[in-house]
Amino acid sequence: MSDNRSITRTETFDCVRCGLTVTAFAPDGGRRNHCPSCLHSRHVLDRVEGGPSQCGSRMAPISIAVLRSGEWMIIHRCARCGELTSNPISGDDNQLILMRMAVRPLAQPPFPLESFGDL
Amino acid sequence: MPRRKPHPRRPQRPKDRTPDGRGRETFRCVGCRLDVPLAAPGTAHRNHCPHCLTSLHLDRRIPGDRRASCHGRMAAVGVTVRGDGEWLIIHQCQACGELSANRIAGDDNALVLLRMAVRPLSGDRLRLGALLAL
Repeated sequence: MSDNRSITRTETFDCVRCGLTVTAFAPDGGRRNHCPSCLHSRHVLDRVEGGPSQCGSRMAPISIAVLRSGEWMIIHRCARCGELTSNPISGDDNQLILMRMAVRPLAQPPFPLESFGDL
Repeated sequence: MPRRKPHPRRPQRPKDRTPDGRGRETFRCVGCRLDVPLAAPGTAHRNHCPHCLTSLHLDRRIPGDRRASCHGRMAAVGVTVRGDGEWLIIHQCQACGELSANRIAGDDNALVLLRMAVRPLSGDRLRLGALLAL
């Protein structure tokens, strides 16, 4: 039993974008589905129908969402079919790319932000 | 600034019709019960309330197909920005967990949008100190 567990703990996958070999388990024990370095994922699950997806394409991180439950998720969008998925942030995810995603909307605001200073 | 798409990728679907054949003019928000006119500045496809940004889960895979059987309430969970500078709201269905993205309209509540945009920067989940090390 303990042998089995040590085998599965060393499972790895290759990132489809940056080619980094990534351990399949995050430091906190959960299974990860995106590269901690470039945060890209792969479209293997079909969210609308359920079950495996035929697409298998690269998924780019587009946003950080904070859910009602207090969970923080990365929203991925498939580069080929445009489907959206959400995945929890793991402890060793690249902080610079997370920060870049968080501040990008504020860099291109659709309304002037100056008026919020008066509130 | 919000702009219209220069080349729509798929043909536009006709809007929902009432039994007497005319187009609907308003919908009632499931979040705050505000009566919202369908005509919106800056977009031809309003799908969320401009006041509380709540939407309804009607579309399945293609925007406008109206094939979802869920009809759950979709809460706005995040903001993202497209390459051309357009803001998109990410909605998540509170009943089934499905996600969707929709462009903001010109009359969307700016305070709620901005609050959603700065929420990832609050708290200590994002280590701001990592940036100081650069």
